Parts: sequence; structure tokens; C-alpha cells
Amino acid sequence: MIIQIQNLTKRYGDVVAVDDLSFEVERGEIFGLLGPNGAGKTTTIRVVMDILTPDEGSVTVLGRPPGQAKNQVGYLPEERGLYRNLKVLHTLTYLAELKGVSRSAARERAMALLERIQLDDWAARKVKDLSQGMQQRLQLVASLVHDPEVIFLDEPFQGLDPVNVERVKNFIADLHREGKTIVLSSHQMNLVEALCDRILLLNHGRPVLYGPLAEIKREYAPNIIRVSASQIPADLPGVAEVEPDDGAFNLTLAEGTGPQEALRGLLDRGVEVQAFEISPAPLEDIFVAVVSGEEA
Amino acid sequence: MMDWRKVWVVTRHEYLTNVRRIGFIIMTASVPVLGVAVLLFGTFFSGQARQLGAYLEQQFEVGDKAIGVVDGSGYFSPILPEYREDFVPFESEAEAEAALQAEEVSKVLLIGDDYLETGRVVVLSTGSGFDAAVISDSATVRAFFVDHLLTGQVDPALQARATTPAKVESRVISSGGETQSEGPWGFAFTFIIPYFLAIFLVMTIFTSSGYLLQSVAEEKESRVIEIVVSSVRPVELMAGKVIGLGALGLTQVLVWVGSAMGFSGGAAALLTVAGAVSIPTRVLVLGVVYYLLGYTLYAILMAGVGALGATMRESQQLAGIFSFFAAVPYMISSFLFTNPNMTIARVLSFFPLTAPTMMMMRVPLAEVPVIDVVGSIVVLLISIPAALWVGAKLFRVGLLIYGKRPTLREIWLILRSDTAFRRT
Repeated sequence: MIIQIQNLTKRYGDVVAVDDLSFEVERGEIFGLLGPNGAGKTTTIRVVMDILTPDEGSVTVLGRPPGQAKNQVGYLPEERGLYRNLKVLHTLTYLAELKGVSRSAARERAMALLERIQLDDWAARKVKDLSQGMQQRLQLVASLVHDPEVIFLDEPFQGLDPVNVERVKNFIADLHREGKTIVLSSHQMNLVEALCDRILLLNHGRPVLYGPLAEIKREYAPNIIRVSASQIPADLPGVAEVEPDDGAFNLTLAEGTGPQEALRGLLDRGVEVQAFEISPAPLEDIFVAVVSGEEA
Repeated sequence: MMDWRKVWVVTRHEYLTNVRRIGFIIMTASVPVLGVAVLLFGTFFSGQARQLGAYLEQQFEVGDKAIGVVDGSGYFSPILPEYREDFVPFESEAEAEAALQAEEVSKVLLIGDDYLETGRVVVLSTGSGFDAAVISDSATVRAFFVDHLLTGQVDPALQARATTPAKVESRVISSGGETQSEGPWGFAFTFIIPYFLAIFLVMTIFTSSGYLLQSVAEEKESRVIEIVVSSVRPVELMAGKVIGLGALGLTQVLVWVGSAMGFSGGAAALLTVAGAVSIPTRVLVLGVVYYLLGYTLYAILMAGVGALGATMRESQQLAGIFSFFAAVPYMISSFLFTNPNMTIARVLSFFPLTAPTMMMMRVPLAEVPVIDVVGSIVVLLISIPAALWVGAKLFRVGLLIYGKRPTLREIWLILRSDTAFRRT
């Protein structure tokens, strides 16, 4: 267990930002920290980063209090910014030194990372001379220049064009392969789905969904099955609606009918089923359903 | 528990990035450049300067032309032999006036027959009424009158004293009983140079705490602060900035003092100031003490306040409160020369925000009461931990408040709240 949070509560005056929250992040996984704006994600991250102190509850990072684990944790904050008048290499070196890396090691690693994001030609230029996309990439590597074990990425895709989104996505996947633990906070549900192993969905500072992504999706699977066949009989028992969709059919099941029963029904009627699929709900739909269900 | 390695990283970073700032380089170079300019000017124009000096001197003396005398009283006839070169007798006013017009004499003294009773003397001149004033202040003219009135009447020694009643020499007695005896120039320089040095020191306090304000506000405005405080504790960041930018200020002072000392030799020769200008040890030691205490206090407050503003401009506005207090001793500095121990100066020496600057200005000028020195240092020693407590809290909280400046009520809540921001 790399991060352990137990009964965390954090208030700002009368506002409760995080309310009795408990969760864990396992070593080597990509963990999705999700929730609508104001749900308490950034507050939670800031507590883990030792920027804020909890009012109640306990937080351990790598088995230690957050204040003692700072050097092993990387952070890409949602509020972006670097020293505009500093040179690119100097910026990375300084930020690594602040994490306890020696100067020479910091410089070496900074150069290697700049090469990896194709900014090595810009090492001696000032940060303000870089384009928006370049600055975003630089900011991303600034969070891991000290070779941390855990990396918090708060909205890493915000404001990126599709090309850079793809680059960053691949970069995160690479880090995952290298064995880093990544905590990803994002509103881009398709990217979360593509990357995360487990997720925590927060609303009003409380957890509403927590667990392996695949399990959650299965649990929230809608009552729709997708069948590839030449044709579907109209009066199948337990099927409320049949809708052709791109050479196949989406069958909406009636209340109380499971996917297996529907398949048996099809076979019984002699339908030649070429493909059968329980269509998973997009994470986005689950998110919206759960959050708006909470509001109602 | 402070991680001093990280404090050092911040210190070095702040020092090295700011020492390269154009503003800092210009400011630091200004004193040596000015010194070189003065010396060059002095060397090239030393001839003219001497002439100028001679001209000025002439304006305050009666000049090298003789003075006409029309004596109606009888006391000045005949003119004594030693004055015959400078004073020429005339029989009548008309005759004297003609000589004045012909520029044979520079001025004419008309002495009436009621002179002994009234002392009335009319000065005729072609210039302004200023000439009459010069005559009455002139040592030569006074000697002319005294000698003519008293010769043969009194003892010559007494007469000599009546002509020159006092030959002044300056001697300052300090509480230690030491005395120093110097010419009037040396005297003035012993006070003026440390005084201006004090003003320079005060300036560096504000330039370096100004850089501190700027550095905090910039990190906040660019949001990089969030990464920084996830790496170091706010108190470590603050300590690193205070030390690094203090070292920057000290660099500036050393360049200034070094160049001032280098040039003062040349300047002293140029001004033909007799004797070396020395800065008393007491002034030097107290200067350093007040410099360090003053800088630390202001730097901590500037860091706290700099963290509160949402933008650079806003932070500077907030810091204006402190600049105002710092300016108060300057406002009364012209009165300080006459009375460095005046009541208001003493009161300001006990108020933490004005104490360092006030004392730095007072110490070179006079023997300051011991109670003022001890009192002001104690006040500062108490204020600094208090400022650290307040400053560190404001700093920690201010850093993460973006977009808006906290209201006074919010600041009060921050200071009172003990749990949320316990760890500064």
C-alpha cells in the first residue's frame, strides 16, 4: 500500500471540503481520483502533498506522514505555472534540488527528461519563450524530475490539443510500465477509462464510488445487449426494445431479464447469433448518473 | 524541524537569480560609478574648482581693494600705519564717492561725529546692500575699528583680545571621557559620513526586502508556489528567501562601503580635508546590529504580506504600510542634526517598525542614551519572533489563496485558527 487515507476530514471555516474520507492507493497502479468541481479532489491531493494539514483522520504516504515523504512524491498541480524568467534546464534543476536531489544528478536527469519530451534544444531558453504546449510538457516533467515513486497528476490533459493529449497519455502509460504509481485526476472520462486500474469518485467530499474500474462498470452495466445477427424477431420475451445499430442490434432488456436469459431466448427462436456483447456503460454515464442521483 | 539543506537550496537560488537582475546591478553600481564620476570631474576641473572656491571666499571678505574712510568723529585720523594699505582717508563724502565711481576703492565708510554715542557707520558701495553686511562681519574691518578706538587706551594684550575675543577649536567629550580634537572639516565628516552610511544601510534594507516581496509575489502569481510548497515547508522557503536576499543586500552594502572607502582617500585629498575620516567602532558595531535586526524584521513582514496579495501590484500596495513607517524617521531627519536626542526621535526608537532606521540615523550623530540603545534592541528582539509567528502563518495561508486578497476579517481568522494552520 503506497498511500493510506483514513477518516480524513478537512474544513475551510464552515465549509467541509473533505468529509470522513478513507481510501488506499496500491503500488504500481494508475488510480483515478474523480469527481465534479468542488468535490474535494484538490484538497485531498494537497493534504497528501503536505500543503494542507488534515483537521481529522490520518494520512500516510509510503508508510510515513506526508511531511516526511515529500521527496518521493511528484505533483502536477491543476494551477499551472513555472518561473517565467528562468531557463528551462535551470527550472528543472532547481525543482529537483528542492526535492533533495543533488545538483549534478538533478541536471543529468533534467537533460534526459528534456530529450524524452523533445525539448532538449530549448534547455538554455527561458520558460516564457516556450509555446503553450511545450510549457505543458515541461510542467509535466517538472513533476517527475526527482524520480518520485508516486506522481499526482491533477488535470494533466487540461487545455491540450489532441496531439498533445495523445503524447501525455502515452507518457503516463510509459511511467506506469516503469512501475511508477500514478494518481490521476481528470474530467476526461474516456482517458480515465483508458488509463486507470481503480477509481475513487468523490462528491461533496465523500466517496460515492470506489474500486476496480472493471467491477464498477460491470455493476453499472445498463440493461442493453448488442447482438450481431441477420435479423431479430420482434416479439422476444423479456426484450422491451430492438434498435438496429451499425449492422447489429441493441436490445434493451425488460426489468428482471438478464443478458443470459435474453441470449437463450434468441437461440431458442433459432436466431443465428454471430456476436453477443454486454455493452458496458461509458464511465461518463456512470459519473453523471451517480452524481446527479446524489443531487436528486 | 527545519531541513537546512533545502533552506540552503532556496538561499542559493534566490541569491543567484536576483544578483543578475538588471535593477540590482544598476543600483549596486550606482555608488562606485558616482564616485568615479566625482573623482574624474574633480581631477579635470580642479583648476576651475579652486578658482570657484577663491571667488566664493572673496564674496565673504572685503576684497583686495582698499576701503575709503571719511572720518567725522576724529577717532580714525590719522589711520594707523598697519591699516594704511587697506584703508584710504578722504576729506569729504563727494571726494570718496568719486574714488568709488573710479573704482579706486571698493567701499566707503562714512563715520559721523555722533559715532561714539550711536556707533552709526554708513557704507557706500556700488554693489548691493549685501556689502554692508559683509563689512559688519569682516574681521579686518572689526580690527580696524577696535584698534583705532583702543590704541594707547588699554593694555595691548587686552586690545588684541578685544579684536579677536575667541579662537574656537572643537572638542567633543563622550561619556567614556575620551576627547577628540579635530579641525571643523574633520569634525563634520566624522558625523556626516556615518550618517549617510546609515541612510545607505536603510536603503538596502528596503531594496532587499523589496526583492523578497517581489520573489514571493512572483512565485504566487505564476502559481509555481504550489510545486514549491509541495517540496519544502513554507517556513523553510521563507527562511531561505530571508537569508538569500539578506545576503544580496549585504553584497550591495559591501560594494558601496568598499568603493566609498576606496574613493574617500581621493576625495579627502581633493577637498584638502586634513586628517583621515574615521568611523567610530561604536557606530560600526551598532550599525551592523541594527542592520541585521531591521532587515530580519522587515524581511519577515514583507514575506508574509507579499504572500497575501493576489498580484505583484497588490502585494506592493499592502507593503506600502511598512514603507510608510520606514519613511517616518526620514521625515524628521533634518531636525536630527540639531538634536539627535529629541523626544520624538527617542519615542520612535522604541517602536519596532521605526526603531532600526531611527537608531541607525541617531547613533552616528551623537552619544545616544544607553537606555535607548538597549531598549530599541530589546524591542526588536521581541518583535522578530512575533513577526515570525504572524508572518509565517500569513505566508503559509496566503500562498494558496489565489485570485483575491483576503479581507481583514479573514486574516484575523487565519491568525486565530489554531488547528487548520497549526503547522507553519
